[in-house]
Amino acid sequence: MSTGDSSADTTMDASGDAPLDFGAVEKRPSLAELRDAVAPTPKRIVGLVGLAGLAAVPLAASLTDLIELIGLLYLMLFAMSWDVVSGYTGQLSLGHAFFFGLGGYTTTVANVQHGISPALSIPLGVLVAVVGGLLIGVPALRIRGPYLALVTLIAPIILLQLFVLFSSRLPVLAPAGLKGQNGFATSPAPVVGSGSEALIHIEGFRAALMGQYYLSFVLLVVVLAVLLAVTRSSAGSVFTAIREDERAVSAAGLNPAKFKIFAFTLSAAVGGLAGAMFVHTTAGGAQPSQLLEVLVSVRVIILVVLGGMGTIVGGIVGGVFFMLTTLVLGALDSAVGTVPVLDTGIANLRPVPLLSIALVTVIFAPRGILGWFDRLWAEHVSGEAVPDRETAPLVLVVRRYRQQIRDLGVFGDEER
Amino acid sequence: MVDVLNIALNAAAISALYALVALGFTLIFGVGGVLNLAHGALITVGAFAAQQVFRVLGLPLPLAVLGGILAAGTVSGLLYLGVVRFIQDQTVKVILSTVIIGFLVRHAVRIVFGTGTLTLPQLFPGSAGILGESVQNNMVFVFCSSWVLILALFALVNYTTLGKAILATSMSDRGAALVGIDATRINTYTWLLAGMFAGFAGVLLTSFRSGGWRMGLDPMVLSFAIVVLGGLGSIRGSVLGAYIIGTIETVTVSVVDTRLTGVVPLLILIAVLVVRPQGLFGRAEA
Repeated sequence: MSTGDSSADTTMDASGDAPLDFGAVEKRPSLAELRDAVAPTPKRIVGLVGLAGLAAVPLAASLTDLIELIGLLYLMLFAMSWDVVSGYTGQLSLGHAFFFGLGGYTTTVANVQHGISPALSIPLGVLVAVVGGLLIGVPALRIRGPYLALVTLIAPIILLQLFVLFSSRLPVLAPAGLKGQNGFATSPAPVVGSGSEALIHIEGFRAALMGQYYLSFVLLVVVLAVLLAVTRSSAGSVFTAIREDERAVSAAGLNPAKFKIFAFTLSAAVGGLAGAMFVHTTAGGAQPSQLLEVLVSVRVIILVVLGGMGTIVGGIVGGVFFMLTTLVLGALDSAVGTVPVLDTGIANLRPVPLLSIALVTVIFAPRGILGWFDRLWAEHVSGEAVPDRETAPLVLVVRRYRQQIRDLGVFGDEER
Repeated sequence: MVDVLNIALNAAAISALYALVALGFTLIFGVGGVLNLAHGALITVGAFAAQQVFRVLGLPLPLAVLGGILAAGTVSGLLYLGVVRFIQDQTVKVILSTVIIGFLVRHAVRIVFGTGTLTLPQLFPGSAGILGESVQNNMVFVFCSSWVLILALFALVNYTTLGKAILATSMSDRGAALVGIDATRINTYTWLLAGMFAGFAGVLLTSFRSGGWRMGLDPMVLSFAIVVLGGLGSIRGSVLGAYIIGTIETVTVSVVDTRLTGVVPLLILIAVLVVRPQGLFGRAEA
């Protein structure tokens, strides 16, 4: 199993070079494995075609569509940042908007109220979001499950309350205030824009929007590559192990706390970066409805759930699905007009259709579109068996135990 | 002195309302170990049902209150029987699906009934004098009914067979099953009960202030603070938590700054979670 020297750089806690076998977690990849990692398997080809599609879409888009597409790219980035911590380590965060908000608001305040160039204010936003990640991540070591879900849900709500509290003035930090419920009306200087204040100046509104789109797209690809590398590395295996059984991770001599904080910080950095870049585009702005409300966090979760949790790519797949449902609903809205019984336009039904699909996915297909794709692939093409959490041995044992208790018929007047 | 009395009376009424919201939430967590993040939506359902009964059907107000309670109870029971029952062992699934259902219900209410403001007349108009301070009858009613319900719940849990079955299920699903208690049935009862508490709270909130399709969110977040402070799953802790948070909030709002509404409970919550995650009366995690 272990290939001679164990490359336990940060992962080992106890003795530096103990001859312990950590299996796959500690193994340094061999050349053959590296080759496998980049081999053009059919699934990877599908992924690349998908990315190429995302790169081509704006060429045919109208101006308003283009702005929506830019927003969609950032939604995907938000979703990927959530997946790192919640999909992988199983530390369910219900308030990732906290990080988007910290990143977006910091850079906006720095740029609009202190006149700092986006080139500096965006990294500042990332920094503040990372601090926020530590703020959540460190207490998260002590609390888990339902308690953690509650804290994370409340973090962005508190942040918004503070923004309302200091809506007109926050000494030194934000001399003109944080604008409360409505958010900033003045947008910060764009990174790519047609105006003179833009960091990268491009002539013409459409060209500038295209520039914004492709800059965001590059960001998406870079973040995707980084997150894939991290989660497919040994650290990623530990993340998954923490989700499945934290005590087993400790028993193997690895410190779950370190990995959880790493996951939270990484996630916060990506979320903060996405939030910060987002406000510097035409699509985004430092408003609670864009960055901070509970629905923002929930929408991000829904995208990942739809795509597939614990996959990183799931966020992008979910985003594409989101775009498609929006398109379909838009087409239906103009074709049908009003829904007969409810007497309202189909567009007004948003976000009910997406929420319903997400609910069904959570309950019946918890591995999302990608999991479904995996199973189809295994059944019809490769013929391999796919492990299924629903039929894991432990689940089956518990289910059988329950059934036996029921079969005993001890519940006198039971209806079933 | 007068000011202090006024603050105390206000705090008592607000805390009583908070306790109602928190009780249902904590009951579900205590018995089934389920975090019901759709609890806020049940508040909305109760308020809208009451308003429909009163304004559209034109029935008297007490019937509207009853309608609100029953509607929220029904939705809550269906939520358990239709969805949560099948996934309650899987924390992640439960949390995600109840969040989604909460939003679904809220948006369903918005689509069907619109985004207008919701109002109900005061349940008991006029005001009474307590120790020389004029207090709205409505507030007196909120306080009294809340305590009647709290005491009734205590009695139910501690002195009836059903209550003992609820306690047994909350301690150990398996142990309860071995002595012949059907956990599904007990859980259904607690969800019904919790929904009715939420529905009543929704009606009171609407009659107290006003409501709308988003009205459930803030009270639910507040009830998180309360149940975490008191200990998730502890009834007595939730009542105490409601009074601590209600009092601290009323005091800061009336003495320090009105804009602090909503911030203080959340800050208390974070402090408690960091210092003593199991709360005042909660069981420490095994």
